[in-house]
Amino acid sequence: MCALSEGVLSHLSLLEVQARSRKSRLQQQSRVMELKAKVEALKTQREQLKAQIQTHQVWGLMVAECDFRSLLACCNPLFFPALFYLLISSGGYDIIKTRKGKGACVSIATAYEDVFLDTFNLEIDLKPTVKINRHNIPPFIPLNNLAEQNNMQTDLRVFLDTLSQHLNAFAGRKQQLKLVKEKHKSVEVMESNVLCSLLVLLFTVPREKTAVLCTLDYTDHTRCLPTRVHLESEDKQLPDSPQWEKNCSLLMETPVHKALITMKKMGSIV
Amino acid sequence: MGSMDNTAKRLLQRLVRRIPSQMLKTTLDKWSRLTAAQRQSMDYTESKWALTEKLLAICEENELTVKHIAELEMIHVIENPNLGMWYVFQLMDPQDDAHSVELTQFKEQFKSHLSELIRHVSIKIKKHTDEAVWIRIAWGDTFSRPNHLKPTYVVHYLQTPYVFLTSPTSKQKPLLSQALVLSTRYQAIKDANLSGRKLTAIRDLLMKQYLQVFPTKFPSPLAERNCVVSNLHIEKEQAGSAANRHQMACEAFGDGILPQLQSAVYKLETKFRDHTNKTMTERDEPFKCVVKFASTNLLESLRHSASSGVASTPVTPLLSSVPLKGKNYFVITDNGPGPSSQMKPSQK
Repeated sequence: MCALSEGVLSHLSLLEVQARSRKSRLQQQSRVMELKAKVEALKTQREQLKAQIQTHQVWGLMVAECDFRSLLACCNPLFFPALFYLLISSGGYDIIKTRKGKGACVSIATAYEDVFLDTFNLEIDLKPTVKINRHNIPPFIPLNNLAEQNNMQTDLRVFLDTLSQHLNAFAGRKQQLKLVKEKHKSVEVMESNVLCSLLVLLFTVPREKTAVLCTLDYTDHTRCLPTRVHLESEDKQLPDSPQWEKNCSLLMETPVHKALITMKKMGSIV
Repeated sequence: MGSMDNTAKRLLQRLVRRIPSQMLKTTLDKWSRLTAAQRQSMDYTESKWALTEKLLAICEENELTVKHIAELEMIHVIENPNLGMWYVFQLMDPQDDAHSVELTQFKEQFKSHLSELIRHVSIKIKKHTDEAVWIRIAWGDTFSRPNHLKPTYVVHYLQTPYVFLTSPTSKQKPLLSQALVLSTRYQAIKDANLSGRKLTAIRDLLMKQYLQVFPTKFPSPLAERNCVVSNLHIEKEQAGSAANRHQMACEAFGDGILPQLQSAVYKLETKFRDHTNKTMTERDEPFKCVVKFASTNLLESLRHSASSGVASTPVTPLLSSVPLKGKNYFVITDNGPGPSSQMKPSQK
């Protein structure tokens, strides 16, 4: 050790430098671990997104492969521009022609978190005008309004896209409510409706056993996330506490059944 | 004199008579107006008369009134929605905020609007587990107190345009309509021309909660079911057309268990067409008649008629309109929906 020849103090300072660098190396290592974990998380997310894209593509392909040819063979696209356009650009519908091309039957499949849910069907007259003839869409989905607002006559696809958004969002909210009821027995569902556009939940704070009434408003019916979260409690201070403000934004940004898992972990609710 | 007046007594007597003994226990448990000891003291093997006397005594002891007995009736009706006749009304022209009406707001609004329209009225509102809002209305008038013996029941699913009613009188209907329109944030209400003895059936029909069949490109399970026939060409061809008829019948009426409607009524006001009968054909005024189809399960009967070939396929719009339009009362005039000549009583 060369440092010894130069005296004790310089040796000590050398040791100090060595110790410091080791510490920073350790810090670096933990930072590397952190980043690696993040890479893994992002990779899984990428895989999920890829899978989602694939299911959508498969769905689209099914339309393109199975119906495109048969439809082309039977009906002249010149006479059915709307349908023709629909077939080329359709994303997630299954369409077949009916009554020798005078009508079409559209199936809209709904899915939430990679789980296929209900499929809805529409039988549409294409001639002489585009008209919905028969369907199995529940009455709380404003079908006629959507048809009018989106100009079904001229742009069938925009109408079907919007309708699919409404149906998927409804199916997603319904599934979330189902999961809340199944997986969170300690949370009481006080109020809900057929459209699943309103949800009132009763939470209990672990130690104090304070009751918290949480209202989730899903005003945007094309989304699975609430547009407003409102808290009420016997403890007037509670909704304004930093912890519950955080819970509030969590409920705004995360599907409710998942937000509840986090809130439980954090010890906010029983 | 006790808390139970004559009406209360009569209402209780009628209820005990109507509810089967084996069901009485669960109904009383849900009521939660009797103590555990009182509930245990009930012997359901006793006669209805004895049970009534016993319950009357308990009610007096607990100082219950006609309003409490009305609660018990409401529990019974909610649990047994398929007794009595239900009529459907349809709300029209929703206002912008109609979709955001929630229960508390609806309750308050409905009660305040109806109480404004009629001085003596008793309203009870209860939400059932399937999201249905149940309303029991006992009507009075300017001089008389609400009559709890002739209540009207109203069932509504918020965010839907349908309202299910039991027998309101012509005097009550406009009041009820007005209160409903105002509290649901719609602008009008009309008779939906659908009625039946089973609330669940007419609800399922309108809410599309039954299996509808749509043409798909995938091999239909309906068709496959009929494929296993012998190899003979004739049978094959017949099987083909039978499967086709079955498919068309299912597309018109649905598959599986269908909502149980009891009747479909067609009121015809059309010109008489029969070239062999000149006197009738030459009359100026329309020929009026009513055709009624009745069955324990009308839609299943119609589906069977079409699929077995008794009724012609494709199914006439007059018959397929029942599930398609959610109606079972039609008025047919010469300019009305569908050519009247298609409607022949011999079809079933």
